[in-house]
Amino acid sequence: MRVIRTVVAATTPLILTGALTACSAQDGGSPVNAAGEIEITCATCQESTTDPFLQFNYEAAQRFNEAHRGRYRVVTLRHANAGSGEARLPYYQRLAMANDLPDVFQLNSAEIESLSSTGRLHDFAPELAADAEWSASFQPRAFDGLSGPEGQRWAIPQQQDPVGIFYNRELLAHAGHDAFPTTWDEFESMAADVRATGTTPIALDGDWATILMWSNLIGTHPEGAAFLADEIATSDDWSANAAVVAATERLRSWHTEGYVNADAFSGDFQNAASKYLAGTAVAIPNGPWFVKTNLRTSQAAPGLYEDTEYVPSPGWGASEQGLIVVSGAGWVSGTADPTRLEAVEAFVRFMSSTDEVVEQARSTGSNPPVTVPAATLAAAELEPLSSGLVGRLPEVALTYPHARVHAPGGIDAAWKNLWPAYVNGEIDTAAFLSRLAADSAVGG
Amino acid sequence: MRTTRQERRRTLQRSAEARVPPAMRGPVALSILPALVLFALFFLVPLGVLAVTTFARWDGVDFAFTGWDNYDRLLSDPVFWKSVRNTLFYCAASMLIQVPLGVAVGMTLALRMPGWTVFRTVIFIPFVISGAAYALVFSMFYNPSYGLLNNLLGPVTGGTRDWLFDSGTARWAVAGTFVFIIGFVVVAVMAEVAAIPAELLEAAEADGASLVQRQLFIVLPLLRNIIGTVILVRLLVDIGMFDLVYILTAGGPNDATTTLALYAYRSYLHGQWGYANAVGSVILLLGATLIVTVRRVFRIGERAL
Repeated sequence: MRVIRTVVAATTPLILTGALTACSAQDGGSPVNAAGEIEITCATCQESTTDPFLQFNYEAAQRFNEAHRGRYRVVTLRHANAGSGEARLPYYQRLAMANDLPDVFQLNSAEIESLSSTGRLHDFAPELAADAEWSASFQPRAFDGLSGPEGQRWAIPQQQDPVGIFYNRELLAHAGHDAFPTTWDEFESMAADVRATGTTPIALDGDWATILMWSNLIGTHPEGAAFLADEIATSDDWSANAAVVAATERLRSWHTEGYVNADAFSGDFQNAASKYLAGTAVAIPNGPWFVKTNLRTSQAAPGLYEDTEYVPSPGWGASEQGLIVVSGAGWVSGTADPTRLEAVEAFVRFMSSTDEVVEQARSTGSNPPVTVPAATLAAAELEPLSSGLVGRLPEVALTYPHARVHAPGGIDAAWKNLWPAYVNGEIDTAAFLSRLAADSAVGG
Repeated sequence: MRTTRQERRRTLQRSAEARVPPAMRGPVALSILPALVLFALFFLVPLGVLAVTTFARWDGVDFAFTGWDNYDRLLSDPVFWKSVRNTLFYCAASMLIQVPLGVAVGMTLALRMPGWTVFRTVIFIPFVISGAAYALVFSMFYNPSYGLLNNLLGPVTGGTRDWLFDSGTARWAVAGTFVFIIGFVVVAVMAEVAAIPAELLEAAEADGASLVQRQLFIVLPLLRNIIGTVILVRLLVDIGMFDLVYILTAGGPNDATTTLALYAYRSYLHGQWGYANAVGSVILLLGATLIVTVRRVFRIGERAL
């Protein structure tokens, strides 16, 4: 019996230690490979046949490796959470706990806000401050949602897009309208005419697209832009804001009036997209990447691309049209190793170079986060529908961020849960907005 | 009672000593060591972590013991109570619809009427389809724009309904996706019926018992063990129900379909790991209570004959 006890006592700690050691993260090891290159890991550079952004990152990483052969090398990490989805943040949180974040990867603004609290994200502010030319190359507001309260720059912007509304010119003409409305009153009048033809006026999904329209309604309200830029982050009761109440009730009325597709609560954007792509909905809000990911695919009805226009949002008054302008996501780094940081800086500079942002615009339809000379853009022959709204930015009266940019991180889940109950009349506007604020903050 | 337990323990000890010769005890202990270590590593350690962290505020970065705060919050959290009610609703749906239906179909098929093998196969197929795939199929089935259910009921009701996102119907719609998957119950019941001695039924028939009487008064009572077992299995699945609800409704609308497992997951996503584990401990407690109750009620393990 004593022998057994001895064996158990000796082996158990060894096995446990071995297992724990195997599970624990290692940030050590030389960053220099056999070829003398500094290697960095990228968690959003994997090949993808379905995500054009991941595919572009993969191709860009190969170009980077080629351009910096002998000095730096990006090694691709493959994992299921690379693209997007609510499991992505917990995945990186676990890696942050283990001090095993990738050297470079992409996050959206809400994820950045959450992950920055771990203290594991690199602050790019010193590098940007040291290079005035690089810093000045970014579009105004490109760092919205990517910065910290004390001037930290947690990410290098990946894109900056004006987000508008796609509409089907033919279906609109069929309802007796020549042009997309410029005020919300006209929009509702148009929606009533469209509904009378048996077509859905606007396709929404109960999540992304619905919140886009909510942002448009708030952002174009005379008192709304301040809410999207600031109050949404600081207020714990959104029902106190008159603009938000008016916008929310107007958006709800579109559902009760039948201006929205019947399955507008699923939270699945493809439910909304399929209506537009099949030619059974007149309009759908989305970013310019919609052209590449949906309109130019075989899912779209023949001739739909040619019949589609991309326009700013209507406003509450005449000449008060608006556009959501959003960076939304950026390149972050999880390394603190100076050698690796040298390669990370080279990589993010490469990704924000004119050549790469123009190539990204070509590949994904997203617009450059840096200022690109007009002649260069013209020569690039970008997809006209995707890039069309950029040219219209100067003539649009109001620009504002998407509600997601400054809202607490839980807004999507809270919206999906509460919006159907609110539209169905189970809770009133004040209760909906109060709970939305509270639940978003819990989720953030 | 205590004396009985002590006696039973002594008996077990004596019988173990009799079975394992002293010289073999070392090798036997060594052979079960890996299993013990793995059990400790993958069950006891996580269980310990779960138990300890329910008394802490933990977001993956900061950790602080907060006593009973998480449990206090659970008691006053309306979403938690909704999750408990919903979880028990799904358990009840299984117990009151799925299992009785499966038992009835299993007993009928066990009579081996013409075509019973085909029918059994058809009934069993949905059981082997993954929950996620099933949820996707049913999200289309319930879709208010093009779903089959609205197309079937439209002429009767005169309109369409968003079954999954209307609080009045959401929970029923979710339950409707699994209560008719009776393949497992049917197969288990058929196997048990096949084990009933034919003499029993022949004797009853000779005494003039009708088919219905034989089924109700002989076969059904002898299925007590298997009915208890399938109820147990079903309840354990329902207590941890996650994927179906997550894909169909994500717990909405207004938490009308949220289960305890989904609520724990959401708390985890929100960085409230201690609170999520407190919800997890309730799931464990509920599971243990149901296991004990069902075992007692159905006297699982006791011989029927």
